[in-house]
Amino acid sequence: MASHLYRDTAVVLRTYKLGEADRIVVLLTEAHGKVRAVAKGVRKTKSKFGARLEPMSHVHLLLSQGRDLDVVSQAESVESLAPLVADLDHLTAGIAVLEAADQMALEREPNPGLYRMVVGALRTIAARGGSLVVPAFYWKLLAADGVRPELDVCVRCGEAGPLVAFDMLHGGVLCRTCRSGAPLSEGALEIMRMILGGRLNDALNTPPSRETHEVMAHATRSLEHHIERRLRTVAMFERAELG
Amino acid sequence: MANVYTPPVQTLIDELGRLPGVGPKSAQRIAFHLLKIPAEDVARLAMAITDAKARVRFCARCWNVAEQELCPICLDDRRDSSIICVVEESRDIVAVEKTGEFRGRYHVLLGAMNPLEGIGPEQLKVKELFARIEPEQVQEVILCTNPNTEGEVTAMYIARMMKPFGVKVTRIASGLPVGGDLEYADELTLGRALEGRRDITN
Repeated sequence: MASHLYRDTAVVLRTYKLGEADRIVVLLTEAHGKVRAVAKGVRKTKSKFGARLEPMSHVHLLLSQGRDLDVVSQAESVESLAPLVADLDHLTAGIAVLEAADQMALEREPNPGLYRMVVGALRTIAARGGSLVVPAFYWKLLAADGVRPELDVCVRCGEAGPLVAFDMLHGGVLCRTCRSGAPLSEGALEIMRMILGGRLNDALNTPPSRETHEVMAHATRSLEHHIERRLRTVAMFERAELG
Repeated sequence: MANVYTPPVQTLIDELGRLPGVGPKSAQRIAFHLLKIPAEDVARLAMAITDAKARVRFCARCWNVAEQELCPICLDDRRDSSIICVVEESRDIVAVEKTGEFRGRYHVLLGAMNPLEGIGPEQLKVKELFARIEPEQVQEVILCTNPNTEGEVTAMYIARMMKPFGVKVTRIASGLPVGGDLEYADELTLGRALEGRRDITN
């Protein structure tokens, strides 16, 4: 059977064990959307590209098209995974990004924008870490999906005056008279405006505080509301931080 | 497709097909092999399965598979109880034992943390590990989980949680397999191998 070979660049979203030594890798490719592929023999210690197909790896791939699953025939790293796996906080942040991306990506539906966002988020985590990369990524995901929250005026009455609550059901912030959803502090609102208003870099420089935690909580709840599923990674490492 | 085989054969094929790594074709082949061989061979296999299932349980101390309350390694007094090697599965103990380099005790986590699958520290025997540190006067904990993302997360999580105990926590080294080629080594492994290089003593 003649197989059709193609090249692409991808981020590994997750992996499943398959049989004795193989793995199924879920890839977010630049040109082919989400692709599932079999990587043969990668769980053996002598595998030539096993280590390059761990979650979060950014790789150039040569894939051959299969009937159901594609097959990875070559893999070469684009950048080193080392800074991402050297620190527990970087790792958990990276996994949180992958989980959200996996939920948003559609199989064989090219989405180069999403691919670039994931690569950007992972690079930022690797280079500087910070507690705001994950919520910033979530907000950007929502905005890219067409559900950018309203942050300037009350979504119900249009009042610009003190905005004290955030409710994803209504799609944004609310004033004192219309309040519903979760309370929102001024600091958190400012950070969210920075993230979605083109001042991402300033936002990422904000040191961790109660406000950054609040932004994370709002971002997680909004994304969960949008995808109608719970995000497991966030819940897990919130608990790890407390414990 | 209707069931072509008589019900007992079909049931056997279905049950075999539920085993890991056994597809419908393999299940069919095994089923017919079992039907062909003498009845006593089949009885022996059936006995081995039910016997193992009935007698084997988890060691109360390290969660290795055991026949009694404690596994043979925990019962062995010659082993050094001040050093614990943390592994994901019982079969990893076998791999470490084969090296003949380790004379301490083990702790089996029965899995690795995988946030995407919802497997967190609560689903693993992590608390049980912490509970062993003081009573057994442990001096060192070796984190011997797999060098993949799940194993790495697990190791780092345990290392962080172990800080208050003031016990030495180490992670197994990661590097090139014996008999491998440098040329084909991936950047991460080769980088770690370089990082963990050591003096050659003559």
